[in-house]
Amino acid sequence: MTVLTSHLKLLEAESIHIFREAAAQFRSPVLLYSIGKDSTVLLHLARKAFWPAKPPFPLLHVDTTWKFRDMIAFRDRTVSDLGLDLIVHTNHDGLARGINPFDHPPSVYTDVMKTQALRQALDAGGFDAAFGGARRDEEASRAKERVFSFRSAGHRWEPRRQRPELWTLLNGRLGKGESVRVFPLSNWTEADVWRYIAQEKLDVVPLYFAAERPVVERDGQLIVVDDDRMRLNPGEQPTLRKVRFRTLGCWPLTAAIQSDATDLAAVIEETLKAKVSERAGRLIDHDQAGAMEMKKREGYF
Amino acid sequence: MSMAALHEVVLDQVATPPALQSGGMVRLLTCGSVDDGKSTLIGRLLWDSAAVTEDQRDAILQASHSRAVNGEQIDFSLLLDGLQAEREQGITIDIAWRYFETPKRRFIIIDAPGHEQYTRNMATGASHADIAILLIDARHGVKRQTRRHAAICDLVGIKKVVLAVNKMDLIGWSEPAYRAIETEFARLAQGFGFTEITAIPVAALTGDNVARRSACMAWYDGPTLFDYLEAVEPRVEPADAPFRLPVQLVLRADGDFRGYAGTVASGTIRPGDRIVDARSGLGAVVRRIATMDGARAFATKGDAVALQLDTELDISRGAVLSEVSRRPINADVLEARLVWLAETPFDPELGYLLRTATDLTPVTSMSVQALVDFETLASTPAHACAVNDIADCRILLGRATSLDLFRDLPATGNFILVSAIDGATVAGGVITWAQSGAPAVGENVLVLDRALLARGLCADLGDSPADTAEFHRRAQEAAILLRSAGVPVLVEI
Repeated sequence: MTVLTSHLKLLEAESIHIFREAAAQFRSPVLLYSIGKDSTVLLHLARKAFWPAKPPFPLLHVDTTWKFRDMIAFRDRTVSDLGLDLIVHTNHDGLARGINPFDHPPSVYTDVMKTQALRQALDAGGFDAAFGGARRDEEASRAKERVFSFRSAGHRWEPRRQRPELWTLLNGRLGKGESVRVFPLSNWTEADVWRYIAQEKLDVVPLYFAAERPVVERDGQLIVVDDDRMRLNPGEQPTLRKVRFRTLGCWPLTAAIQSDATDLAAVIEETLKAKVSERAGRLIDHDQAGAMEMKKREGYF
Repeated sequence: MSMAALHEVVLDQVATPPALQSGGMVRLLTCGSVDDGKSTLIGRLLWDSAAVTEDQRDAILQASHSRAVNGEQIDFSLLLDGLQAEREQGITIDIAWRYFETPKRRFIIIDAPGHEQYTRNMATGASHADIAILLIDARHGVKRQTRRHAAICDLVGIKKVVLAVNKMDLIGWSEPAYRAIETEFARLAQGFGFTEITAIPVAALTGDNVARRSACMAWYDGPTLFDYLEAVEPRVEPADAPFRLPVQLVLRADGDFRGYAGTVASGTIRPGDRIVDARSGLGAVVRRIATMDGARAFATKGDAVALQLDTELDISRGAVLSEVSRRPINADVLEARLVWLAETPFDPELGYLLRTATDLTPVTSMSVQALVDFETLASTPAHACAVNDIADCRILLGRATSLDLFRDLPATGNFILVSAIDGATVAGGVITWAQSGAPAVGENVLVLDRALLARGLCADLGDSPADTAEFHRRAQEAAILLRSAGVPVLVEI
């Protein structure tokens, strides 16, 4: 099993430094809590940064109404155990228009229920800074991100106009209409996240561990059926297969992987040996070329 | 060559997967002029060290096949150029961060753009690096942009440089040509503070001397790039460095907890040690080093902690806690070398703020004294500086702040300049000289404070957000007019 390694200590200290810099410089921060493993690490680091005080900002969960039931249960338990403030926001306008991941292409669904919903929630709360768990190792456009990622009015990311960010000097002075996304996990990798979860004995959503689950296979992707809203194609029948998730999003849009990894040690071993990248299971990322960059420009975090 | 054949060629060279544990972390910059092959070199390094997953390999092979930039060869740079504009134009605009580990250590690769236009992004990357790989195209030798990048590496404090002389395949693997470049670089680097320069002849596209020893360059007996990176000692900290902790914020909690939170910038601290705030001169004894994981016996450079003291000091963010004997300078006048990063040139009439470790101090006046000439690397007298220039400046501050000389303590001797108007980071620099209590500065400064402005110029404004914004606008405009008339001004509202 993993031990406390020197590079995890460095990463932890760097993240705590970032949390403190943001809390000291921004008027009204919020932590985007999306329940997954990265959010779990993010929240743990936020607690360390301000201990013994509670983190001086609320959590925000953008609920598309298509999250796995296990995720919602985990979210509610975490918030109540730690005594934190949670804001849950759903784009009710999108819901009323019947936007869902079956009738609409992933790009439309994601834009309305995630990107627009996030913009609504940030504007409604008057937040000038939002912590996110994005890591630079996830995807090519994320590899280009700053730690303090400035967004112009309308939450747009302009990759050509990123601020210089020298040494550990994080400049939180905002220009007119600007807000910022803060990424304390910028230098973490997927393997680091798991090693840290093991080291710190953190609880994560059980979907990350292999178990028999009802699965439908589509275009080579394993879709876990979480409730009776699943639309089966003619001839499709969910079968029980031993699967787990590397990354968690909305259930019909996040593919599982075949796995026997039922505990943390096995998950870490599998992660280090992985032959495909983590976000290969995120169907929304492959909708079109440069999909993530497009979404980020529109305000996806 | 077919897709299948490409697969065969490449998968042959894949090394073993990394081990479960990893030790230290090395931050590695790749820089050099445009088209010298930086992204290709790093792409090759990742590819050959198994840091590329199969879906990424497939995507790269697919894209290389359709684009065929390098004839029929794999375009390794696609691994790093992550923005649409970069892929379309075939250039690197912003730094790309990549992560990989070998059985020996964890690497962070910072790939910097070579275009002069994007020097500000290169400087960002360089400031985070322990080691720089400076690429040179063997056909063209040292260029103006090579010298600029070397100067920026030196400015931000990089001590170890790898001179990767690339595209050796295109000059017939010629040793004399390589030696000439090595010698030329050694000569120009004499003016810099590099402690170690390692030259390696490579061909990124073919992989020669990247992870695999080149059969074409038997005359070279040094390490391959990969061997060098696995063995190099990234940064050696002096054992007895003075203690510094710039306070980020003061944490308060139930049971009268008060902790001065920050990251140790230098040295080591233990419970029982005496500390002092250099700016106020207030002293105290460290009672406890608090973390969520329990009290610690000591904290050292890089540790993020909260110090509980035996007496409550009336200090806040911006203070630097230090040991008693070797204190920071309580400076209000300083000299610095900086790289100008903003598109708009330095303007002595505009308001700037000096951001040090955690403090933000208004600049009363600033003057450029010299610029680095990128042909000769000598300083030439000047009074202006613009984007991508390296300048020597003199800065007067509106009040004293705690800082060190960069050559003594980098983490408390560096700074950025921030525009007082839009908050942009306009320059990054290092402190070369500083002094406290400069005579006459304090007396001649006109302080534009809230009360003064509210009496007349802003008497018609109320408390609404629109009025507050207008209040700030008028204050800045008044400061600009006064500065242009030669009056040192400090806006404090």
